[in-house]
Amino acid sequence: MIGTTRRTFVAAVIAAIAAGGTAAAQDDPIRIGAINPYSGQLALYGTEVTRGYELAADQLNANGGLLGSQVEVVRGNAASPQEGIAVVERLAGRDDVDAFIGTYLSAVSGAASEAALNYNKLYWDTNAIAAGLTERGLPNFVRSGPYATTFADASVELVIDALAQELGKDPSELRVWLEHEESVYGTSISERQEAQFEDAGVEVVGVGSHDYRSIDLTDSVLRAKDADPDVFIQTGYVPDGNLLLRTMRDQDFDPNAIVFVGTGDTAETLQAMGEKGVEGLLVVSYPRPGISEEFGPGSGAYLEAYREKYGSDPVAPQGMAAYVGFQIMAEAVEKAGSFDPAEVTAILGEFDEPQGTYATGFGARFDENKQNVLAYPTVIQWQGGEPVTVFPEEAAGGSKMTGFGG
Amino acid sequence: MAAFLNIVTVGLLLGGIYGLVSMGLNVIFGVIRIVNFAQGELVMLGMYGAYMSWALLGMDPYLSVLIVVPGLFVLGMILQRFVLQPLQNEPFMQIFATFGLLMFFQNLVLGITGGTGYSVRSDIASEVIRIGPVNLTLSRLIVLATVIVVALGMNWFVKYTMPGKAVRAVTQDRRAARLMGINVEWVFMLTFGAGAALAGMAGVLLSPIYTLSPQIGSNFILAAFAVVVLGGLGSVWGAFIGGFVIGLVEAFSGYYFDPALKHAIWFLIFIAVLLVRPGGLFGIAGAEEMGLREQD
Repeated sequence: MIGTTRRTFVAAVIAAIAAGGTAAAQDDPIRIGAINPYSGQLALYGTEVTRGYELAADQLNANGGLLGSQVEVVRGNAASPQEGIAVVERLAGRDDVDAFIGTYLSAVSGAASEAALNYNKLYWDTNAIAAGLTERGLPNFVRSGPYATTFADASVELVIDALAQELGKDPSELRVWLEHEESVYGTSISERQEAQFEDAGVEVVGVGSHDYRSIDLTDSVLRAKDADPDVFIQTGYVPDGNLLLRTMRDQDFDPNAIVFVGTGDTAETLQAMGEKGVEGLLVVSYPRPGISEEFGPGSGAYLEAYREKYGSDPVAPQGMAAYVGFQIMAEAVEKAGSFDPAEVTAILGEFDEPQGTYATGFGARFDENKQNVLAYPTVIQWQGGEPVTVFPEEAAGGSKMTGFGG
Repeated sequence: MAAFLNIVTVGLLLGGIYGLVSMGLNVIFGVIRIVNFAQGELVMLGMYGAYMSWALLGMDPYLSVLIVVPGLFVLGMILQRFVLQPLQNEPFMQIFATFGLLMFFQNLVLGITGGTGYSVRSDIASEVIRIGPVNLTLSRLIVLATVIVVALGMNWFVKYTMPGKAVRAVTQDRRAARLMGINVEWVFMLTFGAGAALAGMAGVLLSPIYTLSPQIGSNFILAAFAVVVLGGLGSVWGAFIGGFVIGLVEAFSGYYFDPALKHAIWFLIFIAVLLVRPGGLFGIAGAEEMGLREQD
């Protein structure tokens, strides 16, 4: 059954790509401005996120479009808040987009969404993480993906619900070290983790922060090593994560479990550490296309469509969350019958899709801040050089954590 | 005691990294009187050189010294001849030009790599030598040994060889050196080439430690400027000792106080030293102004 649906979908996507010429010839397509960094250091990820939107738009177009029109994704390059504002003004003014979608960078999202409000345009966020974005209560801002709080909660649940058992300990006997990079991203996640662990009776033996551009992290590693934790949790970026792993190896610091939050599940970490170096590492991140079909229906089809269109495997898992976010936005717009922010946000309360509805395993239910509360990250473990989804159990589809002897 | 020994070791090894990155910067400033803002990017190019030798030719990153160092030497000579020499009488413009080179190299590498963070692996680099409680990583020991050899070698070169004496003559008084028949432009080209080659060597030796990004040079350069100013602008031993001072301060403050405060603490010490000795620990007072003085 699933196989047939997937084939139909892939065929539809291919047909849509082939019919691209006709689609463009149609009068007045719907334009969605995709705000992401397409140049600069983060171009790789910005492009990856927008590929998710493009795949979702292809699929919509193959099924008759949105509000009866074909959908076109217009890229707006922004790697800083200033660029975010400028590009919103350009896309709203010159390209006359109907709504905005984004954003790999939280800081850009904050500024761009406020600029979009000046034009009374919807700003639908699929990938920005900062908790403050939805807490502002901006009338045109909706977020469909996981954010700082859910990332922190997922790491805490992993430790309490799964790791404790794997390590053969009661959660109250566990000792945890929280390491994070020192900007608002790492700090906000770490503070939430600390509070949640304390509520659950897990001992946080120390909290360490560092600059992600640090030349040396031996001091951080030695402090953590002295505290002798069972679980070492790091929230940060790729460069500091890799340097931490290397320094931990060099300093013979080998806690029972290492958990990375946010990054660490891509080829960049595998290349730095080698297959042996990452073996057993757990990473809390966006759901990957490899999750089980029961948990994320359509994840396999997404992967095939991605390979078909871009000729490679996804670079990072963010793209699938973007793809799903675009789909939820399209559903909201169809329900509202327009892109008007007031009308779209008014019908958000009608969403009540359980977890496991979309390819990422997300459900859709929005709180008063227009944050989707049923979007959770998942956890992978590096096993034999491959990132394997191991938590939550429903997403793992039978794959188990290894290496703890629990 | 074990922790103390460990931290001293960490600080010395880190000092080696800072010293090595600062050497080239210091050579260029000492002789040509240019603050080269693109020095970190030359280190970055060295790192990518090591990566390419590793990924494309299958070479151990350390062996790529044989390709990268001569390559950057030539690049440095070209930059001096065609970018900086035409601006010789306009020190401010030279500073802007090096800043332009910084932007150029960063964005060039960014355009080619698309921002993916590459890493090289070397079997030698991941070796760890354990002496009691102290873990010494071979990759960092190699850096430390290199910085000592380079400092001794440079000292010998400027003191005892004829080209070295020419470099010293140009450093002291360009006009008099020219009158004595020294080709000042040629000395500048060789010096910039040497500074770039040192940056390349630093890049190669550091490549197995870090994840490469086009911006990685800027992570080193702030510390390198601090090292050079602290040690004394233009002094070979200044960069050498300055590197260790900053490395030890960073390791101690990071471990005993807070890793988030370590940069604040070493900048405090940096400012305190400059208040007492404006020329740096080993510098000559006034050296820091010479770049802006009339020279020719």
